[in-house]
Amino acid sequence: MTVPTQKPARKLSMQQRYSALTHDLDWDPTYVTEEEIYPYTTFEGIKVHDWSKWEDPFRLTVEAYNKYQAEKDRRLYAVLDGFAQSQGQLGLTEARYMNAMKIFLQGIPSGEYQAHRNFSHLARYFNGPGARFASLCQSLDELRHAQTEVHTLSHYNKFFGGMHDWSRMSDRVWYLSVPKSFFDDAGTAGPFEWLIAIGFSFEYLLTNLLFVPFMSGAAFNGDLPTMTFGFSAQSDESRHMTLGLEGIKFMLEQDEDNLPIVQAWLDKWFWRGYRLISLVAGMMDYMLPKRVMSWKEAFELYFEEQMLNGLFKDLEYYGIKPPRHVQWAIDEKEILSHQVYWVLYQYSHAAAFTTTIPDAEDQAWLEEAYPDTWPVFKSVVWDKAQRVVDSGERYFNPGLPQLCQVCQIPMGFTEPGNPLVQCQRHSIYEGERYDFCSDGCQWIFDREPEKYVQAWLPVHQIYQGNCGGPTLPDVAVWYGLEPGDGGEYIGSMDHQDWLAWHAPTIKEG
Amino acid sequence: MQFELRTQVVEPRRKTFSNLVRRYGDRPASRYEEGSVDIQATENFHYRPLWAPDKELYDPTYTAFRLTDPYSFMDPRQLYYAPYVQSRAASGEAFAKSLEYVDTRQLLLKLPEGWQAIVADLLLPLRHYEAGAELISIEGSRFAYGTTIDQACTYAAFDRIGNAQNISRVGIAFNDGHAHALAEAKEKWLGDPALQGLRRLIEELLIERDYAKELVALDLCDRLLYSVMFTHLDEAALLSGAGAYSLVAQHFSTWFLDQRRWIDQLIKTWFADPEYSEVNKAAFNDVLARRWNQIVEAVSDVAAALDARVDTGAAAAAQAATSAVAAQLSELGLTVPGGK
Repeated sequence: MTVPTQKPARKLSMQQRYSALTHDLDWDPTYVTEEEIYPYTTFEGIKVHDWSKWEDPFRLTVEAYNKYQAEKDRRLYAVLDGFAQSQGQLGLTEARYMNAMKIFLQGIPSGEYQAHRNFSHLARYFNGPGARFASLCQSLDELRHAQTEVHTLSHYNKFFGGMHDWSRMSDRVWYLSVPKSFFDDAGTAGPFEWLIAIGFSFEYLLTNLLFVPFMSGAAFNGDLPTMTFGFSAQSDESRHMTLGLEGIKFMLEQDEDNLPIVQAWLDKWFWRGYRLISLVAGMMDYMLPKRVMSWKEAFELYFEEQMLNGLFKDLEYYGIKPPRHVQWAIDEKEILSHQVYWVLYQYSHAAAFTTTIPDAEDQAWLEEAYPDTWPVFKSVVWDKAQRVVDSGERYFNPGLPQLCQVCQIPMGFTEPGNPLVQCQRHSIYEGERYDFCSDGCQWIFDREPEKYVQAWLPVHQIYQGNCGGPTLPDVAVWYGLEPGDGGEYIGSMDHQDWLAWHAPTIKEG
Repeated sequence: MQFELRTQVVEPRRKTFSNLVRRYGDRPASRYEEGSVDIQATENFHYRPLWAPDKELYDPTYTAFRLTDPYSFMDPRQLYYAPYVQSRAASGEAFAKSLEYVDTRQLLLKLPEGWQAIVADLLLPLRHYEAGAELISIEGSRFAYGTTIDQACTYAAFDRIGNAQNISRVGIAFNDGHAHALAEAKEKWLGDPALQGLRRLIEELLIERDYAKELVALDLCDRLLYSVMFTHLDEAALLSGAGAYSLVAQHFSTWFLDQRRWIDQLIKTWFADPEYSEVNKAAFNDVLARRWNQIVEAVSDVAAALDARVDTGAAAAAQAATSAVAAQLSELGLTVPGGK
């Protein structure tokens, strides 16, 4: 064997090798200008002097990515197949647990999918090759999550209501305009704002609050596929968190003029995301037959402790302050889930999930988790609802609620410190009045009124005749609702099927 | 003996999701269908993009190529994420094995001189071509209307940055673990006249702002370039003692066959559209009118440079490929501009 005579001493280090395989693929164009190739990175006002300063948070090559991800998916789909074959849904705690998964399927995969498309936008239009490649990997991950979520819940769809038309519903149904408008807002912004909105605020600040309740809820309630999906997505999520953190640091380190822009985005997207996941608060305190922890505990652990006392201490170095309106969120932590679930209860006849009055066991848990606020809510709200049920009826709100112009949640939140007085704010823009659920949403509107006046507000649209017709049954058809999708849980198709599946039967072989 | 396995039989309420029942009738759906059809939002968008205020977030008018129903295009490979990464993990492993074989025996270093020049001067710079192709493909991932087209573009983008990385690995092996061949290849990409046609094409496509027109032009160039660089040279390499080149080239030829499957299907779907068939042909003709001669010239420059290093008849192969592709396009009713 011949050995080359003049062998240089040092081969490529891992880092140099990685750089040769990724960053070094870029070149400076000469036939067209860089501005023409990457036209969208200046209008937001973010100044970048040196894209090469972008530190790749994870040094993955395409080869390594495909290898890891293929192995993860092999395991996940094996679990899904086994669960379906063994009729695993029979082992859930109760059929009403599925309501959490209905909201998950209706609201989350379409968001993951939007994340996929918009990270592709960054993968195309960021000037720096490192930032582009990281965005490309995240784009694929998000597509993975959208698809694995649909495949995970596909088996349940065959046996339960509320899941069968999730993609159409996410475009049409009133409460699903909350997640849709959130992702539309981020996707129609510029690439840097997207990175703060989704990469940082959503994937880092709020991700545990969003995913832990669903995934741990699955684990506690016998939902093996969703739990397995959660574990499988976790290693992707940790890469996404690192990308979000790198994104904000990169912007802040590039130019000090970027600080006020980034801070304002952070203020906006904290509140936007916080309002979005209030749906999760209602779900975790009221819809899980077996609870993991309360919203209040989750908020204290995953937000106050880990983010406010952890992350934001690190970001102080850059001059970043905790999000504006964060105190409002803290003040709401003992009432948020009660208020949200009460809205869902009243309007579930026009929804693709069912609700019911918390039973004795639920009430005992709520009383322990919320000793200061639950008793008040119980007497003001649930005792009355119970009296209606006792009289043989079920209370549904026959009217249509007013929606907040920004978060699009029905106006049911209250004044800080006064949980019995509904909060209502408004701004006038070009002679029209717009209403908001909170200072946070009003502040967001006032920064960009020309954007938020465009909102497709489901209730306005119904009144304008754009949702199938003037009556609730017309709208329900247009939404794609079928019998068994919504309404009261007790006596629903899901409930009856569940009882029939578990009826004691002795059959001779 | 046979076990009589007893399981509780629970009758399902439905076979699949309602959108698929509306499209295909009441039948079980595949995972490709459940994970791909009707996933993208199509209505009730809330806000206009700040960077494109005349468009919706997802809008069929981001390109001149249109489909009455975006899901009339289905990927013939039925690739959704899981089978995609599984198939690419397998091909990645195969490439790594070939490269390891070549590397441990230092076969690239032992290539005949002319073939070494082909690798250094013309193959390695193509990692930048592939990186540009990735950018063009990922544009489709953002701007295609409908998930099936988006998805195919996304995987193509990831494939192409993977191709760029694999060519780079060849470069590192070629240098016995060092990167100066890559640095020199970049200089050639930026300055060697034989490659400027390709580079100009990629750069110009990147400012088109119509992902499908970019994709079509890139594909036309791919068809000629892959045919010369990988198919033709693969055979020529075997005949002239450059087995290492053949070992590497086969992986790119194999990938391109896979890539062709969805692109050919997309073109077929465009031209068969009940409403937009003529619109799509006109858009394709527009690409041909603007780009065909540029592409033919760019690839024949590469072919001439190949022949200058080892006379394998690359120029003739490029010409043959050009005629063959032109004939295919004419058969589809398209107008191929006459070359020089």
